[in-house]
Amino acid sequence: MQRDELVEKITKDLDGKLESIDRPSGKRAYLFVHPDHSLEVNRYLYELGGRLATATGVDSRDYIEVLYHYCFDSMNIVVTVKTRAFKPEVEIDSVAQVFPGAEWIEREMHDLLGVKFKNHPRLERLILSDDWEEGVYPYRRDYKK
Amino acid sequence: MKRTMIPVGPYHPILEEPEYYQLYVEGEKVVDADIRISYNHRGIEKLSEGLTFDQVPFLVARICGICCACHPFAYVNAMDDLLGIDPPERAKYVRTIFGELERIHSHLLWAGLAGHFIGYNTVFMWVWRYREPILDICEFTSGNRNHYDVYKVGGVRFDIPEEQFPAIRAKLDECEAGTKMLYEAVLDDPIIHLRLKGIGVLSKEDAIAYSTHGPTARGSGLPIDVRADEPYASYDVVDWNVIVHDEGDVMAKTLVRLEETLESIKIVRQCLDNMRPGPIELEIGDVPPGEGIGHAEAPRGETFHYVRSGGDNHPVRHKVRAPSYVNVPSFKANVIGAELADAMLITAANDPCYSCTERVAAVDWKTGETVAKGRGLIELCQEKTKRLKRALKR
Repeated sequence: MQRDELVEKITKDLDGKLESIDRPSGKRAYLFVHPDHSLEVNRYLYELGGRLATATGVDSRDYIEVLYHYCFDSMNIVVTVKTRAFKPEVEIDSVAQVFPGAEWIEREMHDLLGVKFKNHPRLERLILSDDWEEGVYPYRRDYKK
Repeated sequence: MKRTMIPVGPYHPILEEPEYYQLYVEGEKVVDADIRISYNHRGIEKLSEGLTFDQVPFLVARICGICCACHPFAYVNAMDDLLGIDPPERAKYVRTIFGELERIHSHLLWAGLAGHFIGYNTVFMWVWRYREPILDICEFTSGNRNHYDVYKVGGVRFDIPEEQFPAIRAKLDECEAGTKMLYEAVLDDPIIHLRLKGIGVLSKEDAIAYSTHGPTARGSGLPIDVRADEPYASYDVVDWNVIVHDEGDVMAKTLVRLEETLESIKIVRQCLDNMRPGPIELEIGDVPPGEGIGHAEAPRGETFHYVRSGGDNHPVRHKVRAPSYVNVPSFKANVIGAELADAMLITAANDPCYSCTERVAAVDWKTGETVAKGRGLIELCQEKTKRLKRALKR
Protein backbone atom coordinates (compact mmCIF):
# COMPACT_ATOMS: atom_id res chain seq x y z
CA MET A 1 0.00 0.00 0.00
CA GLN A 2 1.26 3.46 -0.86
CA ARG A 3 0.86 6.39 1.50
CA ASP A 4 -1.82 8.13 -0.57
CA GLU A 5 -3.87 4.95 -0.55
CA LEU A 6 -3.33 4.74 3.21
CA VAL A 7 -4.73 8.24 3.77
CA GLU A 8 -7.64 7.39 1.46
CA LYS A 9 -8.34 4.19 3.40
CA ILE A 10 -8.16 6.01 6.74
CA THR A 11 -10.57 8.68 5.47
CA LYS A 12 -13.01 6.03 4.25
CA ASP A 13 -12.83 3.73 7.29
CA LEU A 14 -13.10 6.55 9.80
CA ASP A 15 -15.91 8.33 8.00
CA GLY A 16 -17.88 10.49 10.43
CA LYS A 17 -15.21 10.30 13.14
CA LEU A 18 -12.79 12.81 11.65
CA GLU A 19 -13.43 16.53 11.80
CA SER A 20 -10.92 17.21 9.06
CA ILE A 21 -7.62 16.10 7.55
CA ASP A 22 -4.62 18.30 6.88
CA ARG A 23 -1.90 17.10 4.49
CA PRO A 24 0.88 19.73 4.47
CA SER A 25 3.18 17.38 2.53
CA GLY A 26 3.16 13.84 1.18
CA LYS A 27 4.86 12.39 4.23
CA ARG A 28 2.76 14.12 6.90
CA ALA A 29 -0.98 13.87 7.67
CA TYR A 30 -2.87 15.42 10.57
CA LEU A 31 -6.27 14.03 11.59
CA PHE A 32 -8.49 16.32 13.65
CA VAL A 33 -10.57 14.16 15.97
CA HIS A 34 -13.23 14.96 18.57
CA PRO A 35 -12.20 13.58 22.00
CA ASP A 36 -15.23 11.23 21.96
CA HIS A 37 -13.72 9.36 19.00
CA SER A 38 -10.08 9.57 20.08
CA LEU A 39 -9.81 6.06 21.53
CA GLU A 40 -11.44 4.47 18.51
CA VAL A 41 -9.24 6.34 16.02
CA ASN A 42 -6.07 5.52 17.96
CA ARG A 43 -6.99 1.85 18.19
CA TYR A 44 -7.70 1.79 14.48
CA LEU A 45 -4.30 3.31 13.60
CA TYR A 46 -2.42 0.97 15.93
CA GLU A 47 -4.17 -2.07 14.49
CA LEU A 48 -3.47 -0.80 10.98
CA GLY A 49 0.25 -1.10 11.80
CA GLY A 50 1.06 2.40 13.00
CA ARG A 51 3.99 2.67 15.40
CA LEU A 52 3.32 5.25 18.10
CA ALA A 53 6.44 7.40 18.01
CA THR A 54 5.27 9.57 20.87
CA ALA A 55 2.51 11.96 21.90
CA THR A 56 2.69 15.70 22.48
CA GLY A 57 0.59 17.85 24.79
CA VAL A 58 0.17 21.54 23.98
CA ASP A 59 -1.53 23.96 26.36
CA SER A 60 -4.09 26.26 24.71
CA ARG A 61 -6.43 28.70 26.39
CA ASP A 62 -9.50 26.44 26.77
CA TYR A 63 -8.07 22.99 26.30
CA ILE A 64 -4.93 20.86 26.22
CA GLU A 65 -4.25 19.68 22.73
CA VAL A 66 -3.09 16.05 22.65
CA LEU A 67 -1.26 14.81 19.57
CA TYR A 68 -0.51 11.13 18.95
CA HIS A 69 2.15 10.64 16.28
CA TYR A 70 1.96 7.33 14.39
CA CYS A 71 4.74 6.35 11.99
CA PHE A 72 3.87 4.04 9.12
CA ASP A 73 7.49 3.15 8.47
CA SER A 74 7.15 1.14 5.29
CA MET A 75 5.10 3.93 3.65
CA ASN A 76 7.21 6.89 4.79
CA ILE A 77 4.38 8.82 6.40
CA VAL A 78 3.68 10.16 9.89
CA VAL A 79 -0.02 10.33 10.75
CA THR A 80 -0.82 12.56 13.70
CA VAL A 81 -4.08 12.39 15.62
CA LYS A 82 -5.00 15.80 16.99
CA THR A 83 -7.52 15.79 19.77
CA ARG A 84 -8.38 18.03 22.71
CA ALA A 85 -8.96 17.63 26.44
CA PHE A 86 -11.19 20.51 27.51
CA LYS A 87 -10.60 22.46 30.71
CA PRO A 88 -11.46 22.39 33.55
CA GLU A 89 -11.85 18.54 33.63
CA VAL A 90 -9.07 17.92 31.07
CA GLU A 91 -10.22 14.33 30.65
CA ILE A 92 -9.61 12.05 27.70
CA ASP A 93 -9.64 8.29 27.04
CA SER A 94 -6.31 6.58 27.58
CA VAL A 95 -4.64 4.84 24.66
CA ALA A 96 -2.41 2.84 27.02
CA GLN A 97 -5.37 0.51 27.64
CA VAL A 98 -4.94 -0.63 24.02
CA PHE A 99 -1.13 -1.15 24.00
CA PRO A 100 1.67 -0.57 26.51
CA GLY A 101 3.71 1.67 24.20
CA ALA A 102 1.50 4.63 25.18
CA GLU A 103 1.85 4.10 28.93
CA TRP A 104 4.82 6.31 29.76
CA ILE A 105 4.01 9.23 27.51
CA GLU A 106 0.48 9.49 28.95
CA ARG A 107 1.86 9.43 32.47
CA GLU A 108 4.25 12.18 31.42
CA MET A 109 1.42 14.36 30.07
CA HIS A 110 -0.55 13.70 33.23
CA ASP A 111 2.40 14.94 35.29
CA LEU A 112 3.42 17.97 33.30
CA LEU A 113 0.13 19.20 31.83
CA GLY A 114 -2.49 17.66 34.08
CA VAL A 115 -4.30 15.64 31.43
CA LYS A 116 -6.42 12.95 33.08
CA PHE A 117 -6.39 9.75 31.05
CA LYS A 118 -9.49 7.65 31.68
CA ASN A 119 -8.88 3.91 32.16
CA HIS A 120 -5.10 4.22 32.12
CA PRO A 121 -3.67 1.02 33.66
CA ARG A 122 -1.41 2.92 36.05
CA LEU A 123 -1.66 6.71 36.10
CA GLU A 124 1.11 7.42 38.59
CA ARG A 125 3.87 10.00 38.65
CA LEU A 126 6.65 9.41 36.14
CA ILE A 127 8.49 12.71 35.66
CA LEU A 128 7.76 14.79 38.74
CA SER A 129 9.07 13.87 42.13
CA ASP A 130 6.74 12.32 44.67
CA ASP A 131 6.68 15.44 46.84
CA TRP A 132 5.72 17.80 44.01
CA GLU A 133 2.64 19.85 44.89
CA GLU A 134 -0.68 18.37 43.67
CA GLY A 135 -2.44 20.31 40.94
CA VAL A 136 0.63 22.29 39.83
CA TYR A 137 1.53 21.57 36.23
CA PRO A 138 4.89 22.96 35.08
CA TYR A 139 4.25 22.81 31.32
CA ARG A 140 1.02 24.81 31.49
CA ARG A 141 1.16 28.38 30.22
CA ASP A 142 -0.01 29.83 33.53
CA TYR A 143 2.73 28.08 35.51
CA LYS A 144 4.87 30.49 37.54
CA LYS A 145 8.01 29.42 39.39
CA MET B 1 9.82 -18.97 47.96
CA LYS B 2 10.99 -15.74 49.53
CA ARG B 3 10.59 -12.79 47.22
CA THR B 4 13.38 -10.22 47.28
CA MET B 5 13.27 -6.75 45.82
CA ILE B 6 16.50 -5.50 44.27
CA PRO B 7 16.63 -1.78 43.62
CA VAL B 8 18.97 -0.82 40.78
CA GLY B 9 19.85 2.85 40.51
CA PRO B 10 18.67 5.56 40.56
CA TYR B 11 21.74 7.58 39.90
CA HIS B 12 23.85 6.99 36.91
CA PRO B 13 27.33 8.31 37.61
CA ILE B 14 29.03 7.96 34.21
CA LEU B 15 26.62 8.02 31.31
CA GLU B 16 23.28 9.68 30.59
CA GLU B 17 19.76 8.70 31.57
CA PRO B 18 19.53 7.86 35.23
CA GLU B 19 17.02 5.11 35.76
CA TYR B 20 15.77 3.13 38.64
CA TYR B 21 14.79 -0.50 38.33
CA GLN B 22 13.14 -2.59 40.95
CA LEU B 23 13.70 -6.24 40.25
CA TYR B 24 11.61 -8.74 42.17
CA VAL B 25 13.39 -12.04 42.41
CA GLU B 26 12.59 -15.44 43.80
CA GLY B 27 15.87 -17.25 44.25
CA GLU B 28 17.78 -16.56 41.06
CA LYS B 29 14.73 -15.93 38.85
CA VAL B 30 13.39 -12.46 38.11
CA VAL B 31 9.62 -12.59 38.57
CA ASP B 32 8.64 -8.94 38.15
CA ALA B 33 10.22 -5.62 37.34
CA ASP B 34 9.37 -1.97 37.69
CA ILE B 35 11.12 0.98 36.13
CA ARG B 36 11.22 4.61 37.20
CA ILE B 37 12.88 7.41 35.30
CA SER B 38 13.32 11.17 35.44
CA TYR B 39 15.97 11.50 38.09
CA ASN B 40 17.64 13.99 35.82
CA HIS B 41 14.71 15.90 34.32
CA ARG B 42 16.09 19.22 33.12
CA GLY B 43 12.99 20.66 31.45
CA ILE B 44 14.67 20.86 28.04
CA GLU B 45 11.30 21.22 26.28
CA LYS B 46 10.36 24.19 28.42
CA LEU B 47 13.83 25.76 28.07
CA SER B 48 13.58 25.41 24.31
CA GLU B 49 10.46 27.61 24.27
CA GLY B 50 12.58 30.47 25.62
CA LEU B 51 15.23 30.23 22.89
CA THR B 52 15.22 31.39 19.27
CA PHE B 53 15.02 28.80 16.50
CA ASP B 54 18.76 29.25 15.85
CA GLN B 55 19.73 28.66 19.45
CA VAL B 56 17.74 25.46 19.93
CA PRO B 57 20.29 23.11 18.21
CA PHE B 58 22.88 24.02 20.85
CA LEU B 59 20.43 23.19 23.61
CA VAL B 60 19.22 19.87 22.21
CA ALA B 61 22.81 18.79 21.46
CA ARG B 62 23.34 18.88 25.19
CA ILE B 63 20.48 16.48 25.97
CA CYS B 64 22.97 13.66 25.71
CA GLY B 65 26.74 13.36 25.69
CA ILE B 66 26.76 10.51 23.19
CA CYS B 67 23.80 11.44 20.97
CA CYS B 68 24.88 15.03 20.49
CA ALA B 69 24.40 14.77 16.73
CA CYS B 70 21.06 13.00 16.45
CA HIS B 71 19.01 15.43 18.56
CA PRO B 72 19.99 18.52 16.57
CA PHE B 73 19.70 16.34 13.45
CA ALA B 74 16.06 15.50 14.24
CA TYR B 75 15.41 19.13 15.16
CA VAL B 76 16.77 20.52 11.88
CA ASN B 77 14.73 17.87 10.05
CA ALA B 78 11.64 19.15 11.87
CA MET B 79 12.54 22.72 10.91
CA ASP B 80 13.07 21.67 7.28
CA ASP B 81 9.59 20.13 7.43
CA LEU B 82 8.09 23.25 9.02
CA LEU B 83 9.74 25.63 6.55
CA GLY B 84 9.35 23.32 3.55
CA ILE B 85 13.01 23.71 2.56
CA ASP B 86 15.64 21.40 1.15
CA PRO B 87 19.20 22.21 2.34
CA PRO B 88 22.13 22.23 -0.15
CA GLU B 89 23.73 18.91 -1.15
CA ARG B 90 27.02 19.49 0.62
CA ALA B 91 25.27 20.41 3.86
CA LYS B 92 23.34 17.15 3.70
CA TYR B 93 26.55 15.17 3.27
CA VAL B 94 28.18 16.87 6.25
CA ARG B 95 25.05 16.20 8.34
CA THR B 96 25.15 12.53 7.32
CA ILE B 97 28.86 12.15 8.10
CA PHE B 98 28.49 13.42 11.65
CA GLY B 99 25.37 11.30 12.21
CA GLU B 100 27.30 8.19 11.17
CA LEU B 101 30.50 8.99 13.07
CA GLU B 102 28.32 9.24 16.14
CA ARG B 103 26.74 5.86 15.45
CA ILE B 104 30.16 4.21 15.08
CA HIS B 105 31.58 5.55 18.32
CA SER B 106 28.35 4.94 20.22
CA HIS B 107 28.04 1.30 19.08
CA LEU B 108 31.68 0.63 19.92
CA LEU B 109 31.24 2.25 23.32
CA TRP B 110 28.34 -0.13 23.93
CA ALA B 111 30.32 -3.15 22.73
CA GLY B 112 33.13 -2.28 25.14
CA LEU B 113 30.75 -1.94 28.07
CA ALA B 114 29.01 -5.19 27.16
CA GLY B 115 32.39 -6.87 27.22
CA HIS B 116 33.06 -5.47 30.66
CA PHE B 117 29.65 -6.65 31.92
CA ILE B 118 30.28 -10.24 30.94
CA GLY B 119 33.79 -10.21 32.39
CA TYR B 120 35.80 -9.64 29.23
CA ASN B 121 37.80 -6.66 30.33
CA THR B 122 40.25 -7.06 27.46
CA VAL B 123 37.33 -6.51 25.06
CA PHE B 124 36.46 -3.37 26.95
CA MET B 125 39.99 -1.97 26.60
CA TRP B 126 40.53 -2.97 22.99
CA VAL B 127 37.16 -1.84 21.67
CA TRP B 128 37.52 1.57 23.23
CA ARG B 129 40.86 1.77 21.51
CA TYR B 130 39.21 1.09 18.11
CA ARG B 131 36.71 3.83 18.95
CA GLU B 132 39.45 6.39 19.46
CA PRO B 133 40.22 7.07 15.75
CA ILE B 134 36.56 8.12 15.28
CA LEU B 135 36.81 10.59 18.14
CA ASP B 136 40.01 11.86 16.54
CA ILE B 137 38.08 12.55 13.32
CA CYS B 138 35.47 14.46 15.31
CA GLU B 139 38.18 16.44 17.01
CA PHE B 140 40.10 17.60 13.98
CA THR B 141 36.97 18.35 11.93
CA SER B 142 34.86 20.08 14.57
CA GLY B 143 37.30 20.96 17.33
CA ASN B 144 35.58 18.68 19.85
CA ARG B 145 35.63 14.96 20.53
CA ASN B 146 31.95 15.31 21.36
CA HIS B 147 29.42 18.13 20.94
CA TYR B 148 30.31 18.88 17.33
CA ASP B 149 27.51 21.50 17.04
CA VAL B 150 27.56 21.24 13.28
CA TYR B 151 23.80 21.34 12.75
CA LYS B 152 22.00 24.53 11.86
CA VAL B 153 18.52 25.32 10.55
CA GLY B 154 18.89 25.35 6.75
CA GLY B 155 22.32 23.73 6.61
CA VAL B 156 25.46 23.24 8.67
CA ARG B 157 27.69 25.63 10.60
CA PHE B 158 30.98 24.56 9.08
CA ASP B 159 32.31 22.53 6.21
CA ILE B 160 34.73 19.61 6.19
CA PRO B 161 37.67 20.81 4.04
CA GLU B 162 38.97 18.49 1.29
CA GLU B 163 42.47 18.52 2.84
CA GLN B 164 41.11 16.54 5.78
CA PHE B 165 39.63 13.72 3.66
CA PRO B 166 42.80 11.56 3.49
CA ALA B 167 43.20 11.72 7.27
CA ILE B 168 39.53 10.78 7.77
CA ARG B 169 39.90 7.82 5.41
CA ALA B 170 43.02 6.61 7.24
CA LYS B 171 41.26 6.79 10.61
CA LEU B 172 38.24 4.93 9.21
CA ASP B 173 40.52 2.14 7.96
CA GLU B 174 42.06 1.85 11.39
CA CYS B 175 38.65 1.59 13.04
CA GLU B 176 37.30 -0.83 10.45
CA ALA B 177 40.17 -3.29 10.87
CA GLY B 178 39.61 -3.41 14.63
CA THR B 179 35.83 -3.71 14.35
CA LYS B 180 36.09 -6.56 11.84
CA MET B 181 38.46 -8.44 14.10
CA LEU B 182 36.09 -7.93 17.02
CA TYR B 183 33.12 -9.09 14.95
CA GLU B 184 34.87 -12.31 13.99
CA ALA B 185 36.05 -12.86 17.55
CA VAL B 186 32.45 -12.53 18.80
CA LEU B 187 31.22 -15.04 16.23
CA ASP B 188 34.06 -17.43 17.08
CA ASP B 189 33.89 -17.40 20.86
CA PRO B 190 31.90 -20.29 22.36
CA ILE B 191 31.61 -18.53 25.73
CA ILE B 192 30.02 -15.45 24.16
CA HIS B 193 27.55 -17.71 22.35
CA LEU B 194 26.66 -19.47 25.62
CA ARG B 195 26.39 -16.17 27.40
CA LEU B 196 24.34 -14.15 24.87
CA LYS B 197 22.27 -16.61 22.84
CA GLY B 198 18.69 -17.11 23.95
CA ILE B 199 19.11 -14.58 26.75
CA GLY B 200 16.50 -11.84 27.26
CA VAL B 201 14.48 -12.66 24.17
CA LEU B 202 12.19 -9.82 23.09
CA SER B 203 9.52 -11.27 20.82
CA LYS B 204 8.52 -9.46 17.66
CA GLU B 205 5.00 -8.95 19.08
CA ASP B 206 6.36 -7.30 22.23
CA ALA B 207 8.74 -5.18 20.17
CA ILE B 208 5.69 -3.86 18.29
CA ALA B 209 3.46 -3.44 21.34
CA TYR B 210 6.10 -1.42 23.19
CA SER B 211 6.75 0.70 20.06
CA THR B 212 10.46 -0.08 20.27
CA HIS B 213 12.91 1.16 17.69
CA GLY B 214 16.56 0.95 16.72
CA PRO B 215 18.82 -2.06 17.37
CA THR B 216 16.32 -3.25 20.01
CA ALA B 217 13.61 -3.59 17.35
CA ARG B 218 15.94 -4.68 14.55
CA GLY B 219 17.31 -7.42 16.80
CA SER B 220 13.74 -8.70 17.09
CA GLY B 221 13.15 -8.93 13.36
CA LEU B 222 11.50 -5.56 12.71
CA PRO B 223 13.07 -4.02 9.60
CA ILE B 224 12.59 -0.41 10.70
CA ASP B 225 15.21 2.27 10.33
CA VAL B 226 14.37 5.96 9.85
CA ARG B 227 17.34 6.34 7.50
CA ALA B 228 15.69 3.89 5.09
CA ASP B 229 12.02 4.55 5.84
CA GLU B 230 12.12 8.32 5.56
CA PRO B 231 15.44 8.96 3.85
CA TYR B 232 16.61 12.32 5.13
CA ALA B 233 19.95 14.06 4.43
CA SER B 234 21.94 11.90 1.96
CA TYR B 235 20.81 8.43 3.01
CA ASP B 236 18.93 7.98 -0.28
CA VAL B 237 22.03 8.52 -2.43
CA VAL B 238 24.47 6.20 -0.64
CA ASP B 239 24.46 2.43 -0.76
CA TRP B 240 23.94 0.70 2.59
CA ASN B 241 21.83 -2.03 4.20
CA VAL B 242 19.36 -2.15 7.08
CA ILE B 243 20.68 -4.81 9.46
CA VAL B 244 18.02 -7.13 10.87
CA HIS B 245 18.33 -10.23 13.04
CA ASP B 246 15.27 -12.23 14.03
CA GLU B 247 16.27 -13.96 17.27
CA GLY B 248 15.44 -11.09 19.66
CA ASP B 249 18.12 -12.13 22.18
CA VAL B 250 21.18 -10.24 23.40
CA MET B 251 23.30 -11.90 20.71
CA ALA B 252 21.03 -10.55 17.96
CA LYS B 253 21.26 -7.03 19.35
CA THR B 254 25.05 -7.33 19.57
CA LEU B 255 25.34 -8.50 15.97
CA VAL B 256 23.01 -5.73 14.77
CA ARG B 257 25.22 -3.12 16.42
CA LEU B 258 28.51 -4.54 15.16
CA GLU B 259 27.28 -5.00 11.60
CA GLU B 260 25.77 -1.51 11.65
CA THR B 261 29.13 -0.08 12.66
CA LEU B 262 30.65 -1.54 9.51
CA GLU B 263 27.74 -0.18 7.43
CA SER B 264 28.30 3.27 8.93
CA ILE B 265 31.96 3.23 7.96
CA LYS B 266 30.81 2.37 4.43
CA ILE B 267 28.37 5.33 4.44
CA VAL B 268 31.00 7.84 5.60
CA ARG B 269 33.43 6.66 2.88
CA GLN B 270 30.77 7.10 0.19
CA CYS B 271 29.87 10.56 1.47
CA LEU B 272 33.53 11.59 1.18
CA ASP B 273 33.68 10.18 -2.37
CA ASN B 274 30.48 11.89 -3.51
CA MET B 275 30.84 15.31 -1.90
CA ARG B 276 31.27 18.19 -4.33
CA PRO B 277 32.16 21.77 -3.39
CA GLY B 278 29.13 24.00 -2.93
CA PRO B 279 27.16 26.12 -0.48
CA ILE B 280 26.59 24.70 3.00
CA GLU B 281 23.54 26.65 4.14
CA LEU B 282 20.37 28.36 2.99
CA GLU B 283 19.32 31.86 3.92
CA ILE B 284 16.40 31.50 6.34
CA GLY B 285 13.97 34.38 6.68
CA ASP B 286 11.14 34.65 9.18
CA VAL B 287 9.66 31.40 10.40
CA PRO B 288 5.93 31.29 9.59
CA PRO B 289 3.32 29.85 11.99
CA GLY B 290 3.01 26.10 11.56
CA GLU B 291 4.30 22.78 12.79
CA GLY B 292 6.99 20.35 11.79
CA ILE B 293 7.91 16.77 12.60
CA GLY B 294 11.45 15.54 12.26
CA HIS B 295 12.98 12.23 13.12
CA ALA B 296 16.47 10.86 12.82
CA GLU B 297 18.03 7.47 13.44
CA ALA B 298 20.13 7.78 16.56
CA PRO B 299 22.51 4.95 17.54
CA ARG B 300 19.81 3.67 19.90
CA GLY B 301 16.80 4.16 17.62
CA GLU B 302 14.49 6.87 16.42
CA THR B 303 14.83 10.36 17.87
CA PHE B 304 11.59 12.25 17.36
CA HIS B 305 11.10 16.03 17.47
CA TYR B 306 7.90 18.02 17.06
CA VAL B 307 8.18 21.80 16.69
CA ARG B 308 5.33 24.30 16.59
CA SER B 309 5.87 27.88 15.58
CA GLY B 310 3.52 30.75 16.42
CA GLY B 311 5.09 33.06 13.82
CA ASP B 312 7.55 34.46 16.33
CA ASN B 313 11.30 33.79 16.49
CA HIS B 314 10.97 30.97 19.04
CA PRO B 315 9.06 27.68 19.22
CA VAL B 316 5.76 27.74 21.13
CA ARG B 317 6.08 23.99 21.70
CA HIS B 318 8.99 21.67 21.17
CA LYS B 319 8.53 18.00 21.98
CA VAL B 320 11.57 15.73 22.20
CA ARG B 321 11.43 11.95 22.42
CA ALA B 322 14.69 10.06 22.78
CA PRO B 323 14.91 6.41 21.68
CA SER B 324 15.52 4.95 25.14
CA TYR B 325 12.10 6.28 26.17
CA VAL B 326 10.45 3.56 24.07
CA ASN B 327 13.18 0.91 24.42
CA VAL B 328 13.62 0.87 28.19
CA PRO B 329 9.99 -0.13 29.03
CA SER B 330 10.36 -3.24 26.83
CA PHE B 331 12.77 -4.49 29.50
CA LYS B 332 9.66 -5.47 31.44
CA ALA B 333 8.75 -7.83 28.61
CA ASN B 334 12.06 -9.67 28.34
CA VAL B 335 13.52 -9.75 31.85
CA ILE B 336 10.77 -11.76 33.52
CA GLY B 337 11.89 -15.35 33.88
CA ALA B 338 15.54 -14.46 33.39
CA GLU B 339 18.32 -15.36 35.78
CA LEU B 340 19.53 -12.59 38.04
CA ALA B 341 23.06 -12.96 36.62
CA ASP B 342 21.64 -12.17 33.18
CA ALA B 343 19.35 -9.30 34.23
CA MET B 344 22.15 -6.75 34.07
CA LEU B 345 23.13 -7.95 30.64
CA ILE B 346 19.54 -7.68 29.41
CA THR B 347 19.21 -4.09 30.58
CA ALA B 348 22.56 -3.37 28.99
CA ALA B 349 21.34 -4.82 25.71
CA ASN B 350 18.15 -2.74 25.75
CA ASP B 351 19.76 0.44 26.86
CA PRO B 352 23.46 0.68 26.25
CA CYS B 353 23.89 3.57 28.68
CA TYR B 354 23.74 1.37 31.67
CA SER B 355 26.11 1.79 34.52
CA CYS B 356 23.63 2.22 37.32
CA THR B 357 24.94 -1.12 38.42
CA GLU B 358 27.71 0.73 40.19
CA ARG B 359 25.06 1.77 42.66
CA VAL B 360 23.20 -1.46 43.14
CA ALA B 361 22.04 -2.72 46.50
CA ALA B 362 20.09 -5.89 47.10
CA VAL B 363 17.60 -5.43 49.93
CA ASP B 364 15.77 -8.16 51.74
CA TRP B 365 12.09 -7.78 50.83
CA LYS B 366 10.78 -8.28 54.37
CA THR B 367 13.44 -6.84 56.65
CA GLY B 368 14.75 -4.09 54.36
CA GLU B 369 18.29 -5.23 55.12
CA THR B 370 20.98 -4.79 52.53
CA VAL B 371 22.31 -8.19 51.46
CA ALA B 372 24.53 -7.24 48.53
CA LYS B 373 25.57 -3.95 47.11
CA GLY B 374 28.05 -1.99 45.05
CA ARG B 375 29.54 -4.06 42.30
CA GLY B 376 27.72 -7.19 43.37
CA LEU B 377 25.51 -7.59 40.33
CA ILE B 378 28.29 -6.98 37.82
CA GLU B 379 30.35 -9.54 39.67
CA LEU B 380 27.45 -11.97 39.55
CA CYS B 381 27.30 -11.43 35.80
CA GLN B 382 31.05 -11.89 35.37
CA GLU B 383 31.07 -14.99 37.56
CA LYS B 384 28.61 -16.71 35.30
CA THR B 385 31.06 -16.29 32.41
CA LYS B 386 33.86 -17.76 34.52
CA ARG B 387 31.62 -20.68 35.47
CA LEU B 388 30.84 -21.34 31.82
CA LYS B 389 34.54 -21.14 30.94
CA ARG B 390 35.37 -23.73 33.58
CA ALA B 391 32.58 -26.03 32.44
CA LEU B 392 33.73 -25.76 28.84
CA LYS B 393 37.30 -26.76 29.68
CA ARG B 394 36.21 -29.91 31.37
